[in-house]
This record gives sequence, C-alpha cells and structure tokens, in this order.
Amino acid sequence: MTTYIAPTLEMRFVLNELAGLDAVNTLPDFEEATPDLVDAVLEEAARLASEVLSPLNKTGDSEGSQLIDGKVVAPAGFAQAYREFVDGGWAGLSLNPEYDGQGLPGLVSTAVDEMWNAANLSFSLCPLLTSGAVEALEAHADDNLKTTYLSKMVTGEWTGTMNLTESQAGSDLAAVRAKAVPDGDHYRITGQKIFITWGDHELTENIAHLVLARLPDALPGVKGISLFLVPKYVVNEDGSLGERNDVHAVSLEHKLGVHASPTCVMSFGDQEGAVGYLVGEPNKGLACMFTMMNHARLGVGIQGVAIAERSLQQAVAYARDRVQGTVPGKEGRVTIIHHPDVRRMLMLMRAQTEAMRAVAYLTAAVLDHSHHAPDADDRAGFQTRVDLLTPVVKAWSTEVAQEVTTLGVQVHGGMGYVEETGCAQYFRDGRIITIYEGTTGIQANDLVGRKIIRDGGQGMRGLLADIEALEPQLDAAGEACVAIKTALAEGRAALARATDWLLETYPNDVNAPGAVAVNLLMLMGTVVGGWQMARAALVAHDKLQTNEGDAKFYQSKLTTARFYAEHVMPRAAAYLATVVAGSASVMALDDEYF
Amino acid sequence: MKILVCVKRVVDYNVKVRPKADGSGVETANVKMSMNPFDEIAVEESVRLKEAGTAAEVIALSMGVAQCQETLRTALAMGADRGILIESDAELQPLAAAKLIKAVVEKEQPQLVVLGKQAIDDDANQTGQMVAALLGWSQGTFASKVTVSGGAVEVAREVDAGTEVLSLKLPAVITTDLRLNDPRYVKLPNIMKAKKKPLEKLAPDALGVDITPRLTVDKVAEPAQREAGIRVADAAELVDKLKNEAQVI
Amino acid sequence: MSALVVAEHLDNKLNPATLAAITAAQALGGGVDVLVAGLDCGAVTEAAAAVEGVNKVLQAESDAYAQPLAEEIAPLIVQLAPDYAHVLAAATTTGKNIMPRVAALLDVAQISDIIGVDSADTFIRPIYAGNVIATVTSSDPIKVITVRSTAFAAAPVTGGAAQVETVDATESVGLSSFVRAEFTESDRPELTSAEIVVSGGRGMGNAENFQLLEDIADKLGAAIGASRAAVDAGFVPNDYQVGQTGKVVAPKLYIAVGISGAIQHLAGMKDSQIIVAVNKDEEAPIFQVADYGIVGDLFEVLPQLSAELDKLNS
Repeated sequence: MTTYIAPTLEMRFVLNELAGLDAVNTLPDFEEATPDLVDAVLEEAARLASEVLSPLNKTGDSEGSQLIDGKVVAPAGFAQAYREFVDGGWAGLSLNPEYDGQGLPGLVSTAVDEMWNAANLSFSLCPLLTSGAVEALEAHADDNLKTTYLSKMVTGEWTGTMNLTESQAGSDLAAVRAKAVPDGDHYRITGQKIFITWGDHELTENIAHLVLARLPDALPGVKGISLFLVPKYVVNEDGSLGERNDVHAVSLEHKLGVHASPTCVMSFGDQEGAVGYLVGEPNKGLACMFTMMNHARLGVGIQGVAIAERSLQQAVAYARDRVQGTVPGKEGRVTIIHHPDVRRMLMLMRAQTEAMRAVAYLTAAVLDHSHHAPDADDRAGFQTRVDLLTPVVKAWSTEVAQEVTTLGVQVHGGMGYVEETGCAQYFRDGRIITIYEGTTGIQANDLVGRKIIRDGGQGMRGLLADIEALEPQLDAAGEACVAIKTALAEGRAALARATDWLLETYPNDVNAPGAVAVNLLMLMGTVVGGWQMARAALVAHDKLQTNEGDAKFYQSKLTTARFYAEHVMPRAAAYLATVVAGSASVMALDDEYF
Repeated sequence: MKILVCVKRVVDYNVKVRPKADGSGVETANVKMSMNPFDEIAVEESVRLKEAGTAAEVIALSMGVAQCQETLRTALAMGADRGILIESDAELQPLAAAKLIKAVVEKEQPQLVVLGKQAIDDDANQTGQMVAALLGWSQGTFASKVTVSGGAVEVAREVDAGTEVLSLKLPAVITTDLRLNDPRYVKLPNIMKAKKKPLEKLAPDALGVDITPRLTVDKVAEPAQREAGIRVADAAELVDKLKNEAQVI
Repeated sequence: MSALVVAEHLDNKLNPATLAAITAAQALGGGVDVLVAGLDCGAVTEAAAAVEGVNKVLQAESDAYAQPLAEEIAPLIVQLAPDYAHVLAAATTTGKNIMPRVAALLDVAQISDIIGVDSADTFIRPIYAGNVIATVTSSDPIKVITVRSTAFAAAPVTGGAAQVETVDATESVGLSSFVRAEFTESDRPELTSAEIVVSGGRGMGNAENFQLLEDIADKLGAAIGASRAAVDAGFVPNDYQVGQTGKVVAPKLYIAVGISGAIQHLAGMKDSQIIVAVNKDEEAPIFQVADYGIVGDLFEVLPQLSAELDKLNS
C-alpha cells in the first residue's frame, strides 16, 4: 500500500488554467483567495491528508466502526485525526465567516475535499455530511436555530447527518413515515431511519440530525414532508449540553466498503419522542433537503475523482515495481509499466481521472459564480450551467470511478484481488458512490427531465456552443491538436444529436427519457470531459510554444489529452447509438420473462 | 532575542526519487515539493521559543527558485513573523548557502540561527556548521533539546554513543534532529494570516556573495539493487541457511 | 601531497570508523597522516601509529580538546590543512559536526559521506536517502571529506610504524563547553562496527519486548539496532537508530524484526552482506531486500529462533 500524495501540481493546473481561479478570486467575498494563498492551502491540506488521514485508511477498513453498549466506536485514531482536522480549521473551509467559517470559494474546497476523500473516504463522509447540513440550516433555519447550531457545526465541533431513508422509502421519499408531533416550543419525533452515515459516534460532543418527518395533519406524498433538527444532546438556553435526546443508533450495517464510516439504523422516540425543531416551513422539508443534496451531489462526484486518483497512484507505484516478463527492445525482465497493455490501463485511468477532475472543478467554479456574481442575470446563467452539470459530475464521475478502480485491481494482477496492496479497498469503498445521494439512474432522470426537457434543451445548447467555440482554437494549434479536435467535434455532434433526438422523441414515447437517460448522461460526461482535456491541451500547447514552465508536465498534458481523444471519445458514438435506439428493446420483454 | 530560521524546499519526503534516464540529475518534473522535514522541526522550535517568551521575533529565510516562497509561507503559517527569500535559479551548495545566511545574519542581527541538521535531498549535513564557522559562533548540531537561559543555550545533541549536552555562548547556531519536537500541522486561519505577513526578496548579488558551485555533479545513477531472497518456513530452516548456506553464524 | 585523517576517539580508544577513513585516504594516491587531538590520549596516538599505511601521526594535546568540540578542534585542523590535498574524517556524528566547520574556514566545499573514490578529486556519495548515487568532482585546492565507514574496509590495526610528531595546540576559543554525556552502556559490540546486528521496529510493540531481541543478540554476539519508528515510540534510546538520519551499518548479518522497511531505514542497512527479515505482513518492503524472510508473528518466531540457536551452540 502506498501513501497518498495529493497531486497538487495537477490540481493547481486545473484550478488556474481550466476552472478559472483568477476569475473566482475577483468575486466579492473571495478577494482573499489569490492563487498563492490557494497554493499554501493545498500544500497544508496535502500534508494533513498524507500524514494523518491516509495512514488510517487501511486500519479503518480492517477494524471498522463498531456498536458497543449502544455507542458507536470509530476505528482507532479516528477521533484524534478528527480533532486535528477541526483544530486546523479545515471543516469550515468554504463556509460562511459569519458562523466562523473560513469563507474560501467552493472551488478551493473542492480541491481540498478531493484530498480528504482520496486519503480516507470513510473519514471524509463525516465532514461532507456536516457541511451539507450546514448549508440546509443556513438557507432555511430560523435565527434561533442558527445561533445555537451553526457555528458549532461550521467549525466541526459538532457534526451533522442527513436522515432521509426509511426501509420503505429509499429513492422514493414520498413514502416517508416518521412522525413529528408538536410539543410546546418543539416537536416530538418518532420513527426509524436507515443508512444514516456517521449517524452516531464519539468524535464530537454533539450531533445535529436533520430528519424528514410528517406533521400530524400532513398531506400524503412529498407535499407532506417537513424537515426537523434533532440534536443528540438537547442544547440548553446558555448553549451548554442538556439531556441525552431520545435518538439512538440501534445497529450498524455490514457493508462492502467504507467500513470505518458507521452506517447506522437510527431510532427516534423509543421512549418519550425525540426533541426536534422545525427547519423552514412546515411541509416544505423536501425542498430544504434538496439544498443539502445538491451540495452533497457535487461532493460525491469529487469522491469519484478522489478514489480514481488514489487507485491510479497505487497502480502506477505497483507497475513501476513489479518485474514480470520481457518486452521487445528491452533487455532482461522488465517492470510491468513497460508492457503496452498495462500502459493502456494506466493511461485509461489517468486520462479519465484528469477529465473528471477538470469537469468537477469547473462545475465548482461555476457554482461560486452562480452564488457570488454581482449581476443577477449572470448569476442565473451560471445557475443554469451548474444545474446541467451537477448530475453529470455526480453520476458520470462515480461511474467512471468504477472503471478506474477496477482497472486499478487489474493492473495488480492476482495481487489486486487480495487485500494487502490496498487497491481492492479502493474498489470496494468506491462502489457506494454511484448509489448514495441519488443513484446514477436518479441523476440521469434529473438530467433528461429537469435539465434538458424542461427548458427545451436551451441550457444544453449553450454548453454545446461553448464546446464548439474551442474547435477553431484547436485548429489553430495545428498538428499537436488534430486528433483532439477531430474527436471533440465528433463528440459534440453526437451530444447535439442525442439532445435533439430526446426532445423530438419524448412527447411520443413516455419511456424514452428513462430508457436512454443514463447513456445520454454518460455521453455528456464523456464529451464534457473531452472538452476539458482539449482545453488543457491548448494551454499546454501554448506554454510549450512560449517555453513557459515545466515542459515535461505540459508535454504529458498533450499526450494524455490525445489518449483521451483516441481511446475515450470514441465511446461517444456508442452512447449515441444506444440513445437513438430508443426504449423499444429496453421495454419490450414481458415482466414475467425476466 | 531574534531568531533566524532557515528552510529549504526539497522533494517531498514521501516521493520515491529516481535518476533521470541520462544520469544528469534526478527526476523532479511533476514531483511534489515540501519543506525539508528537519527544517520544519527548526521552525517549530523557533516558534515555541517565541511562544515561551524567549524570542521576540522569528524570521524565516529561504533561498532558491521563486517557489521557495511557498515554503516560506508555510513557515509563516507555522508562526514565523516575517520571511526573507534570496531568489536565485542557480544551484546553491552548502557553502554558498552558508555565506548567504551569514550576510542575512549581519543585516538582521539574530542571536540564534536555527536550521535542520541536513536536507533530505543532498543529505549533506553541512550548512549549519558552516554558518557557525563563518560567523565565528558556537554550534549545537543534531539537537534533541534546546534550553535558552541568560547569555547561553544548553543543547542536548544526538551523537553516536547516545546523548551529549553542551553549553553554548550566544549567539549560536543550532541544527535540529528528529526528536527535538513534533512540528505542528498548520491551521487554515494561520495560512490566511501568513499571507499578510511581510516577505522580503533579495538577490545573492545584492548581498555580495559569490555563489559559484565548488562541486560538479558528473552523473547520478540508481544504486545497485538487492535481489529479494527466499522465504524460509521457520526458525530452524533459517538457522540452517545462515549456518550452512550463507555461513554468517 | 598527503591526506590528513582526523582520528576519532572515545575513552582513549581509536574509533574503528577512523580505520575506514584511513583506507579511503589511501585510495587517493598520496601518503596518509593521522591527527590525534585530545587530552592524555597517548594510547590513541600509539594505536594510530600502528595502523598499516599511516606515515605520520600528529598529536595535539590541550584541555580544550578533552571533548571533541567543533569550535576548538576545527581551528587546529584548519592550521594543519594547507600541507595537505585532502582532509578526511569518518562520517560519524563527531566528524559530521567538525568537518563542515573546517571546510567553511578553509573556504572550500565539503564532500559528505563518500562511499567511493574515483580519483583524487572525484568521489561517489549517496543522496536522497541512498536512492540515488552521485559522482561529484571538487574544484577546491583542499578537499574536505567525510567517509561512510561501512563502505570502506578497516585498515589493519597492526603492521604500521608511523613516526609521531607533536603539534602545537591552538588557543581555546571558549565558545562552548561540555556539560555532560548520557551514553548508553552496553557490553555488546558497537552498532556500526558489529558483525551481526539484530534490529527491532514498531512491531516489537513496547520496550519490554526488546528483551526478546537481547536474548537473540546475546546468543549471536550481536549489536542491537532499531528503526526510527521504534526509537520515536520510546522503545529504545536514539543511538540505536539505523537509517538515513541515524546510523549506517553494513554487518555480515542484519536481522530485521518487526521492521516494515521504509526507504529511510533501508538507507541505513541495505549494504549488509546478509539480511534476514521477520515480519507478519508479507507485503512489507523489507522482504524486497531480505535474503531470508520469515512471514510470521515475531512473538512466535523469536523464541523458536532462540531455541534453535541454543541447539547450535550446544
């Protein structure tokens, strides 16, 4: 197992050259986020990731969190690491300074979050959910709740959880049954929630659970769901902790991966009912929760980038060391990195990881603009782009991460299938990310339904125009970018065609959107990734022309972009073919014939 | 009392360094760089002396390419008050570095110069001793404990036979060993504060120092690799092999 | 011109590391003189004079030299250096402390920790924790060098009959003074010159468990070493540390127990003739350099090894 080393050079390249950190830096509130400050932040975060979080990844996996005497006990070292994380001020990196956050752009926290997740996915889930909860509270809670909870959660002194799922209500939240009954100035919550990540632990003094439940008079379905804050310990007037609330972790799931992250069954109100406080308006809970989920979706997309990077680093290290076989033109037995097929796998891992990172960071930058641009029309334009890209970052990145982590195992040969090298853990840990915070299918439905069909493809056309605008620049770069330009133009045309097909077809075929959604999303991810690789290639080409910076680094950018164009972009045509094939063969088979 | 603490930017501790194919140097393209770990200990010790009220100001000094600023910012984020960068794209060998440090000492008049006992790139273990020589100061190398009192500093040194304690007259040079302290992790708010701390840039010429290298590196190569041996089942087989095959016992 | 080797000594005994420095000096092509600076150190002078290949021993006695303080001894060496093309010392903590001070006073570079001599001005030395080997050429008129003692054979301690010359001591500079030493007392051979070294790592679990290693070391006549992790954890004192920043050893037999084999540790022992590794993690990097490896729990393996050694000795 190798130590995770944050790819800070690559991250800086993406931040500065592709995601436009300089433009984000000009936004009001972000004047402090200059490139040199961001460099320093990345360096220190990298250190904490390598030295504190990464060493706990494997031990956390083998030890796992355990439920002992009604308490969830995290693996050895996690409490101390969490303390280091909080003391360092990392929890509130991009959160509101009004509540003791550090107020840096979301773009910066995206890069730093990649490090936490790559170093230790299980650990990182805890702060990820906390900052999601913070966002929901900041947007919807009343001042009283904000005063009591926000600072503590922003700094990470307390953590937050998301309590949505019940055994009968997974992706379909309309089926939520948990109840909330008014009781003086608060509510009493009863019910059981499952799959609650870091639902209980002893890392912090208190935990704020955000819980979806129904008021007594609520309508059935999604229109009758409200959001409540249920603290583990009730907070007294003076801010001190009062009695233990009636909410408990009653069991932990036995999972394929992320063993260190306790996935709890939470029981609310076994005795008198858990004390809860309404967040936002009654019956508007789902909208409040979506604030949190949008944040979390980007966060999970970053997990895809992170686990892919981690897997890539491990595979490269192994391929450099493992001696096996011979190759023409080299004397003696060689390390396997010399074998063409191993290189093909490593390049597939590398090129797609870089593409995913670029798309995720770009989306984070656009999100910063959508919140902070001074002009309202600008903000709306940026919001349209964020809305379009969010499901892609979440679903495409996590799906490609499956390919990358499985290749990571493959590069190791037989050693990949045993646990020692660590690559099997990345494969197992990464398997959850296409599922939680909305499965790939849910994301794809969101993309085709809410993001393409609803605006008649307008947002998508804007994106396609931006991609097309790059093509003449690639032409101008000449020989070095020919293959990249050709593949990008073909990919863009395929995405345009698929979009048109969808808009033409859905009015006549109700099954079409759902049947083609995932392939359309993957097509879009592939092409948007290719677009960013092409932009990277152009930057590299220019730098090489002007002899600026590290020539080897820029040469590697050109090579990787070309590989992506030649080995990944052709998939766009295949995705298009499945899209235009429509829903017929998907739906034709009778249920009983399965 | 003022402390001058010197920090070097080196290839990160975790990176497995490889020679370039043509043997002209080591591969540093796309390689993560960090503060020399021994220098982190030096910064930590200096900052602790300041926190304890022993030192009034901690000045961090680095030299080399423009990116050494990042290393200085780390030192500032750890708690140094201001930074000085001697900017140079040329190779700076220990003697040249020592002369540059001496020039800064003459300008800043610190009572204590603290630096790591060696840099993990060239593993030279010279600069601190050379600074002390050039200044005519006392030196406490490989320090595992530093106690300042009055006009003297007591330094426990990690030596081959164990630990040796010396008393040095101030001003003095101290080079830090691994167990002197555990350097702190930098806190995010301090990184942001560090950005506002002053950072002065100087050129070697302006300090009147000749930095011409005295050693030329003719080539670098990988060391001869040891082949992995065999697994033995148990202690009995091991003893048999050591006695009869390797003949070392 | 000759080379001057600065002798290192403790308790009136010549440090064997100096013998390796003498061998390195002989490879430079000229004669070899040895400097013995100290107080009442006649026995060291005698020992140095008996070393094969030494032409002359320079003896300087002074109260100020009672301890090898760099501030006091460097001026003496600087005063003698102009008569020599090379000034060498072993790369021990004493040599590393004094020689750069000498080099700076002479306004020359130091060539640290050499493991080979190519010619009178070209040397081979490890960098990056021994992951890279550099060949360097010095353009300075006097070459100040520290020598990795494990890379050179010890010069024979008999067969020489060097003349002894007394040289004037330099005046005391009085910048530093010796307070006390806390040296580890041991009946075992010294770590860097022992023929067999038994080392323990973090896997030993605690200080008490090092008793298991001591038992093995007693039966083999071995020195005891440790990884940085074991020293950092407080299992053993710092002078046990083998590695990039600790001691470099190259015994006939090195037994690494519960040591995973971080690069920094390997840098300190990979030139050993035979390496044995005992570790329960079969992926531990130590196995990549070990001639014989046992994958197993050291708490089971060590008692078995002890019993096997008893059988051997009986």
